[in-house]
Amino acid sequence: MPRRVAIIATGQTKHTARRLDVNIAELITEAVTRALEDADLTLRDIDAVLLSNMEPFEGFLFPDLWSVEAWGGYLKPSVKFNTGGTVGTTTAIAAYYYVASGIYDTVMAIGFQKQSEGHTQTAITTVGDPIWERSVMAGAIGNFAVMATTYMHESGVTEEQAAKVAVKARRNACLNEYAHLQMPDITVEDVLKSEMLAYPVKRLDMCPQSDGAVAVVFAEESKAVRLAPRPAWIKAVATAHEQQYMGDSPKRLAEMRSLVAASRRAYQYAGIVNPRKELDVAEIYEVASFAELAMYENLGFCAKGEGGKLIDAGVTELTGELPVNPSGGVLSTNPVGATALIRVAEAALQIMGKAGRRQVENARTALATGYGGNAWTDVIILSREKP
Amino acid sequence: MSAEEKTLRVPFLLDTEYRYAVGHYGARFFAELRDHARLMGMRCPECGRVYVPPRPVCGICYRELHEWVEVGPEGTIVGWTVVRIPFIDPMTGEQRPVPYGFAIIRLDGASTSLYHFLDETDERRIRVGQRVRAVFREKREGSLRDILHFRLLEV
Amino acid sequence: MSEWVVRQKIRIPFQYTAGRALTRFLLGLAECRIWATRCDGCARVYVPPRGFCGRCWREITRWEEVPAEGELMSYAVRPTEPPVILGLIRLDGADSALVHYLGGVAPAELERVQRVRAVWKEDRTGSILDIAYFVPVW
Repeated sequence: MPRRVAIIATGQTKHTARRLDVNIAELITEAVTRALEDADLTLRDIDAVLLSNMEPFEGFLFPDLWSVEAWGGYLKPSVKFNTGGTVGTTTAIAAYYYVASGIYDTVMAIGFQKQSEGHTQTAITTVGDPIWERSVMAGAIGNFAVMATTYMHESGVTEEQAAKVAVKARRNACLNEYAHLQMPDITVEDVLKSEMLAYPVKRLDMCPQSDGAVAVVFAEESKAVRLAPRPAWIKAVATAHEQQYMGDSPKRLAEMRSLVAASRRAYQYAGIVNPRKELDVAEIYEVASFAELAMYENLGFCAKGEGGKLIDAGVTELTGELPVNPSGGVLSTNPVGATALIRVAEAALQIMGKAGRRQVENARTALATGYGGNAWTDVIILSREKP
Repeated sequence: MSAEEKTLRVPFLLDTEYRYAVGHYGARFFAELRDHARLMGMRCPECGRVYVPPRPVCGICYRELHEWVEVGPEGTIVGWTVVRIPFIDPMTGEQRPVPYGFAIIRLDGASTSLYHFLDETDERRIRVGQRVRAVFREKREGSLRDILHFRLLEV
Repeated sequence: MSEWVVRQKIRIPFQYTAGRALTRFLLGLAECRIWATRCDGCARVYVPPRGFCGRCWREITRWEEVPAEGELMSYAVRPTEPPVILGLIRLDGADSALVHYLGGVAPAELERVQRVRAVWKEDRTGSILDIAYFVPVW
């Protein structure tokens, strides 16, 4: 049996479009310093460091190599991950495995990205297979948009319902001191009138590109109990990857096979039968407004085709039955290497009672998801109770 | 120093060339496309799925694939969009001209779909379920670009 | 036929943010000066400079100049025509070494070289290449 692991500390930078005052190493140091301060730790307390980053966005191979001392890694065991959008949750799950294995007691997971240093759409195109896909790819936005029309056709969700998701996200972000896009006055009409990037995705339907970093500390039971007044226990983790070529799963957003597979596995492990009732808060990886609606359905928060109805009824608002992305989500903040780990950090803050103005009252069970390459999913369930 | 203060920015152009081996299956596909303007898929002996692009194994059954079947040239739109946001094409370092139609197309006879261009840029004329047909270039070299785009068959 | 190969480029322009310490270093190069930082905790002198010591986990605020001259610790020769020579150079007073070109010296003479000094370019822009190369100090 794996041993019990909890998150005891987090640290984030204020995410923004361009941090022109710091290089990547300095950005990472900010997040790490804050995480250490959060639980009164020093570098000596950290046994291993895991890093999360998507190199193509900065064009730096081995960013872990040339920033070792900036993340406190001098002579420490460490590994760097790159699994696309899921990388932040992949790294969180890996940190859990490291500690649960009994080999390491305290592990820090760090996610970072400086989107401003490269060209996001261009770099994402290199993710496509060079022989079969790259010459006919349309960047992340175009590739997402083609899936969104299929989803709209299957589910009947409207652009207006998607716009409501975008509004919820940017308004929630105003309660999050770290969020990039904070728009207190944004309306559905603003979203519908914003520039069409690729039908049906408009500018305000889409996530931003951010510079930012986040660090999360995982600890074994006795340390967790000693160092954190209310640790966030890892109750279940699951990962699922799908498919080789983009067209192998043509109804990718409508069906989200890897999200369905991973979430069902995690729910089963955690003993959750009715996620909508039994989860208190969810931080999900929604790359665009339409994606969040599809995720409601595929996470089992509602029946297939009912995603639009859920947002219409206000169920996922901060004051609703199951708040989704009280932090503002990916729609408000997206430094890709950090984004999925920010979901974990925000879910942990909810359990720990440290979510400030975006705190969901009495959050006992939280869900965090990662989404990558349109085909990969990670799911993590955190709990106030020891598993 | 505050977040508003700027420091120097150092430019760097990543410019490398790669040589990708296409493999047996890809080679056969591209040869058929180049020489005969024919699209081919591979059928799994166990589940019957027809895969485009071709590949050595069926990922679901994990059985080796050996049977070639013709697919297309017509197909159905599964999803579509009109791309209006310009971005830099990593293969050239230049902006790709916009707008252009783009779709997920299931070729007749195939179980998987291909992403490719549409010859339409008016969103009102495209819909899921619409029939399309591949338009092949006169001079083909054996690549997916030998298909110029897909033409809408009805409005 | 089965040896079909597709040639393709990856061409992406990047813009790296230098950050505070490196900006001061680069601007210093334009003035033919080499800036370093010294950590008050471990006394390490960093060239290029950094504003944070990752070993002590503390901010570094002490700046000092180092001469554009120092010890040649190692070298590597790319046998092109003409040969390209890279050296690992520890400037006087620094604890870390810089990698840069070596010039004005033939590969056969490298073994005898102990100290080198920078040769500055005429037109400097605030780049590591404001130093054209390092030459031996005999």
